[in-house]
Amino acid sequence: MMKALTMSLAILGLAGCTAVQLPADRLEKSEASIRGAEEVGASGVPAAKLHLQLAKDQTVTAKKMAADGDNRAVLVLARAESDAELALGLAREVSVHADAVRATEDLKAVRDRGNP
Amino acid sequence: MKTMNMSLLATVAWVGLTVSCATTPPAQLVEARTAYAASNNGLSAKLTPTELHDAWLVLDKANQEFDQHGDTIQCRDYAYIAQNKVQLADVKARTELDRQKIAEAVKAGVVVRDNQVKSTQAALSSTREQLKSERRDSNAKSEEIEKTAEQLATEKQARMTAEARLAGAMKDLAAIAAVKEDSRGLVITLSGSILFASNKFALLNTAMTKLDQVAEALKAQGSDKQMVVEGHTDSQGSDRINQPLSLNRATSVRDYLVTRGVDSSKISAIGMGSSHPLLDNRNAENRANNRRVEIIIQPSHLSTR
Repeated sequence: MMKALTMSLAILGLAGCTAVQLPADRLEKSEASIRGAEEVGASGVPAAKLHLQLAKDQTVTAKKMAADGDNRAVLVLARAESDAELALGLAREVSVHADAVRATEDLKAVRDRGNP
Repeated sequence: MKTMNMSLLATVAWVGLTVSCATTPPAQLVEARTAYAASNNGLSAKLTPTELHDAWLVLDKANQEFDQHGDTIQCRDYAYIAQNKVQLADVKARTELDRQKIAEAVKAGVVVRDNQVKSTQAALSSTREQLKSERRDSNAKSEEIEKTAEQLATEKQARMTAEARLAGAMKDLAAIAAVKEDSRGLVITLSGSILFASNKFALLNTAMTKLDQVAEALKAQGSDKQMVVEGHTDSQGSDRINQPLSLNRATSVRDYLVTRGVDSSKISAIGMGSSHPLLDNRNAENRANNRRVEIIIQPSHLSTR
């Protein structure tokens, strides 16, 4: 009886330690978003920088949890992915906003040139 | 009984507490719901509905997880992701608004530049027209100058021709008459004996040939000068005879010259009688010299008075 119980626990233990497979496309998308955010200058935008760091940290955590067989790894990767996308969006927003300000100033300058 | 009541109360309290804990959503879920509600009534609903819908799908999972299993870590994960997606929808909406502003500014800039180009082209066109007009004026002036120069050249040529004609006529005249210049002007003196018979005022035939030459010389003087024909006699005879004789002789000469082309309005005749002799009348030679006709061509400044 004792032997059978020991065997069952060993099987359960082995099953618990089986690595979780993270969806390759999600992982790729998350890492692509992280790279994209870095390229558009997220490190220079405080809010974007925070989410970028969170994305990186959670990606590492997700990988570790997946290796440890923790099913929550997929959700943590989804968190990382949402942070990476938000970092990218925030960085782009700053860049586009700067362009909008410049375009408005350019228009004013053109109008002023036309009406000295 | 008292113990039983206390036990029931504790049970009810535990159940109440348990139910209460199970129905109180975690802060992340509350924040996600609040953020979604705000965005759904804001800019994102109009500009980034797809992103907002993605957020709602995740928020729905969080709500379902909470409804089914309460405040679990998965519920918090979904709530966290939902909140990020709501924020992303807002960020993208603001970005889209900025992009629209850029597009409008660029479009407006094109319109302003087009108008400026049109305005500049209009100004340029006006300047070109002005230049053309000035060029036309300049050409007209050049033509006028050329015309004036041609006119001057023609006049110069005419003057030279007239001067040559005058010189020739004066040279011819010198052969038949005395020509001198005094305070009255140019004086052409013709002897009375070659023009008239004694006491007559009708011109001799031979006189006419000579007067033809005189007429040519007078016409060559130009049309602006006044001429006076003066008749003179010697002192023989009375003034009653000499005065009308001198006037008639002057008139005969004047009338003949007019028939030869001299302007009648420019030439007059007067009789001087014997009042202005050239020499004393003591001998025949002097008296012959005093019998004369003088044609005086007055200078321009006297003629215009």
